[in-house]
Amino acid sequence: MRSGCHNAVEYVYQYIDEELTLTRRARISLHLKRCHRCYTAFDFERDLKARIAAGGKTLPPPELFDQLRALIHREHDNGDSGS
Amino acid sequence: MADRATFEQDAMEFAPQLYSAALRMTRSPADAEDVVQETFLKAYRAYDSFEAGTNLKAWLYRILTNTYINKYRTAQRRPNEVELGELQDLYLFRRLGEASGATESAEKTALDMFVDDDIIEAIESLPESFRLPVIYADVEGFSYKEIAEILDIPIGTVMSRLHRGRKALQRKLWDLAVEHGLVEPRQ
Repeated sequence: MRSGCHNAVEYVYQYIDEELTLTRRARISLHLKRCHRCYTAFDFERDLKARIAAGGKTLPPPELFDQLRALIHREHDNGDSGS
Repeated sequence: MADRATFEQDAMEFAPQLYSAALRMTRSPADAEDVVQETFLKAYRAYDSFEAGTNLKAWLYRILTNTYINKYRTAQRRPNEVELGELQDLYLFRRLGEASGATESAEKTALDMFVDDDIIEAIESLPESFRLPVIYADVEGFSYKEIAEILDIPIGTVMSRLHRGRKALQRKLWDLAVEHGLVEPRQ
């Protein structure tokens, strides 16, 4: 692996998470324009992150909302009057 | 200062995300419901101390995290570094590339073979200290600074745990792909 690639890969997560300084981000973007392999790798990491975001979520049972509302109302009736 | 009267209206929109995160942490629907309920109760009681206009989502996640940790945290507090071992960067990308030969952008297509259950199994397989940062960054989309605040650890620690956690998650996905016969590992 060339040193430009090595430097880029070191920052792959900060790059896709948009956590880099503008200067470093620009330097890596330039490398990605010139290096197809790194471009593909970065693209893959971004897709994987999106795949994890989509697949890692689970909807709650619909009754959860009513349970939470009931909990707050009960607490309101009991606690707030006393304080 | 936030007003308790608006708590329900302000916080309810975050209930689905909080439940989902709690489920990834506890790995049990009943426990996840318990954690979310306790989180809402604590948050409601403390809502007077929440500074209106600041990050409500992160504030709720911090309470959720503390509730989970107090209730379910395993005895071991520090991450076992040895547990994950040293993993190559771009682990999954490289393995998929090797397995598919030189086919253009085969790695990208390979992502489609994973079903949601694989993703969930991979996340839930991570040791807790790595699982939480990965859930917050990848699933919930929090920034490093927000994760640092939620977990009450330095940003540098967030970054290193996230880095290692993501690599471990990639290895688990690769193992699942091999186990399900979706890829042919190169010997």
